[in-house]
Amino acid sequence: TMNAFGLTQIGLILLCTTTISSLQCNHLHLQQQKVVKNSLQLLDKMGKKFPQQCLREKMSFRFPEQVLKPRQKETVKVAIEEIFQHIFDIFSKNLTLAAWDEKALEQFQNGLYRQIEQLEACVIKKQTHYFRSKEPSRLKLRKYFQKVDCFLQDKQHNMCSWEISRAEMRRCLQLIDKVMRKL
Amino acid sequence: GQTTLKTPWDIQVYVVNTNFTLRWNYTGNDSNVAFSAEYRWSEDFETVETEWNELPGCQNVTGTECDFSSAVTEYYDMHHVRVRAERRKEVSPWSDIFEMIPYFIAQIGPPGIELQSTNGIIKIKVSPPEANAVRKMWIAHLRFKYNLVLWENSSNAEFRSLSIFPTHVIDDLAPDTTYCMKVQATLPLDFKEGLFSPVRCIKTTRKVNDLLCATNVSILASNMKFHLHWNNPYKQHVSYNVQYLIGYLKKLHDDYSPKWLNVHGCENITVTQCNFSSIITTTGFYYLRVQAMSESNRSCLSNEVKVNPLITNEIGPPGIKVDISDVLLHIQISPPGGSESEVMRDHYDLSYRILYWKNSSNNEEDIKMKEVKQTIATISDLTPSTLYCVKVQAFSQIYNKSSDYSKEECIQTPGDKILPLIILATFVTALIVVLLVATLLVFALYQAYNKIKYVFFPSCHPPLNIEGFAGQPFIRPYLSTTEEPTEICSIIETVLTEVNHIDFKDYKHSKQSSRDSGNYSNDDDTSGSKASEEKEIV
Repeated sequence: TMNAFGLTQIGLILLCTTTISSLQCNHLHLQQQKVVKNSLQLLDKMGKKFPQQCLREKMSFRFPEQVLKPRQKETVKVAIEEIFQHIFDIFSKNLTLAAWDEKALEQFQNGLYRQIEQLEACVIKKQTHYFRSKEPSRLKLRKYFQKVDCFLQDKQHNMCSWEISRAEMRRCLQLIDKVMRKL
Repeated sequence: GQTTLKTPWDIQVYVVNTNFTLRWNYTGNDSNVAFSAEYRWSEDFETVETEWNELPGCQNVTGTECDFSSAVTEYYDMHHVRVRAERRKEVSPWSDIFEMIPYFIAQIGPPGIELQSTNGIIKIKVSPPEANAVRKMWIAHLRFKYNLVLWENSSNAEFRSLSIFPTHVIDDLAPDTTYCMKVQATLPLDFKEGLFSPVRCIKTTRKVNDLLCATNVSILASNMKFHLHWNNPYKQHVSYNVQYLIGYLKKLHDDYSPKWLNVHGCENITVTQCNFSSIITTTGFYYLRVQAMSESNRSCLSNEVKVNPLITNEIGPPGIKVDISDVLLHIQISPPGGSESEVMRDHYDLSYRILYWKNSSNNEEDIKMKEVKQTIATISDLTPSTLYCVKVQAFSQIYNKSSDYSKEECIQTPGDKILPLIILATFVTALIVVLLVATLLVFALYQAYNKIKYVFFPSCHPPLNIEGFAGQPFIRPYLSTTEEPTEICSIIETVLTEVNHIDFKDYKHSKQSSRDSGNYSNDDDTSGSKASEEKEIV
């Protein structure tokens, strides 16, 4: 069980030991937008057009769009950060059957990871007074990514499952791009 | 009478990864008392309307805790649990309902830890919690951030705490010393700190200081041109290989040692520097290291250096050109970077800070500043006849970076005295020109007027005696038409004395006979008319 001391302990430990040089967190938003745009381009670049034969296996994952629409700007930013983490995790799995462009994939992952690290530092700095968000939409977000993860596992990471997941992640990033323009 | 069984109280659920333990308190006669639990869950958080089910693993339990891990499969749904005591046929009332969403109360289990001690350093390899589990609470294990706590195995040891990647090397340790450590996995965004792994201790070996290794590896980067520099403490011939690693690979649990790549153009070199701009993109981090190779095929790897391109890079000074027109100073800024200027402009969102001052005074307070976003700026409100000096600096607010100042460019503002003179001279010249033109125009008009007047309205009149001849006044002496008959007049002297003596008829007769008498005749084209005319004239 978490108590207040544990909370501040995380904050202090991770704050003092972060290896990232200090950033102006206010302007991270601009960088975030660039990362999203860049990531979308790289997603397109790494593979070809969606193969027709995979249309049969298409699944509806139902991304919980309400997670990007809460009242506070901060909660949206934290949600976006978590989404980046999940996407990064998914694209680290067994990709041999996907047969995508290695260079584009590397750049995609590298870009996501850099943003994750920088965001983490800024979010932690601010969150020493932050209360844990028990919003149901964040749980729906995790359910969504669990669905994608299970889908890939069930299909044994075959080409079609990867292409479907890639299309799904693309849709996800496009939603984020739209939301970020309004922020 | 019959005493009802006491209800269990203080229901708690303890979750580590996917292991669910139900605990409760029971005060009362606990001889032959067994406990059973029920549960229900639903996706909807507001109401849980489903039926209560028996909780597997928590039926007829004699202790005050039970494991019900097999029952829970939906870690994001709301679950309700309740317990009651049972003794033979007696049952206690149901306890208070314990509400939970498994994900929120779950704790992160301990990660695995492997240690290796070589050459005075300790290499740590962390394996994530639930590494080989079939069912996972933490589906994205790459979200974990690992926290290492390290201390020397001696009294009064200081605890060192640091955030590490799954594969980590600690190299600032004392040789031949035993160190102990433990690792925990954390999820910063979820405010979760996991359980620590068991403590592991290891002894460091002696460190062999290989002079072959490159030392003082550092980076100099300007205008997106990246150079690696190092020192060679080895006195003999060494060749170097510069290698790089794409940053995110360290976040993965896979061994990234085979993923180091050679920097093109810095393979088997003998100089102690390398231009590695070719491998840099602005998307993410990179790590660089230098591999030194001696002639005897011995090699040594230097320390790693982390490169965050846009942060490591320094912005170079911009170029500046000044131009003056009256009291306006025009500044043209050429952005830093040359060929790389577009990349820098894109990512840094560059602005420029212009400093300008009068060179005559040496006061610092007279330095004025102007910030612009474009590469062209204009400064007004200058005093005339003064030498102004300007210099420019490029800066990025986003990255909190600024370049050095450009060279100073000085220029003189034109004088005040000259200007009014110029204006006056221009005015006078214009006036003269206008007057001249006006005069010419008037003169030309006057001449034209005269000519027209002479042609159409002549001032000279014909003499009185020929006025009214043939009823035709001479109005157009110069204009003649072919239709009008020309008249040749010849004046014939009249013999007045002959008129008295001549009869009217005779007169006519005499006129007819003598052609020399005072008749004037019209020389007409037709003789017929001539004859008639002679008759008519009296």
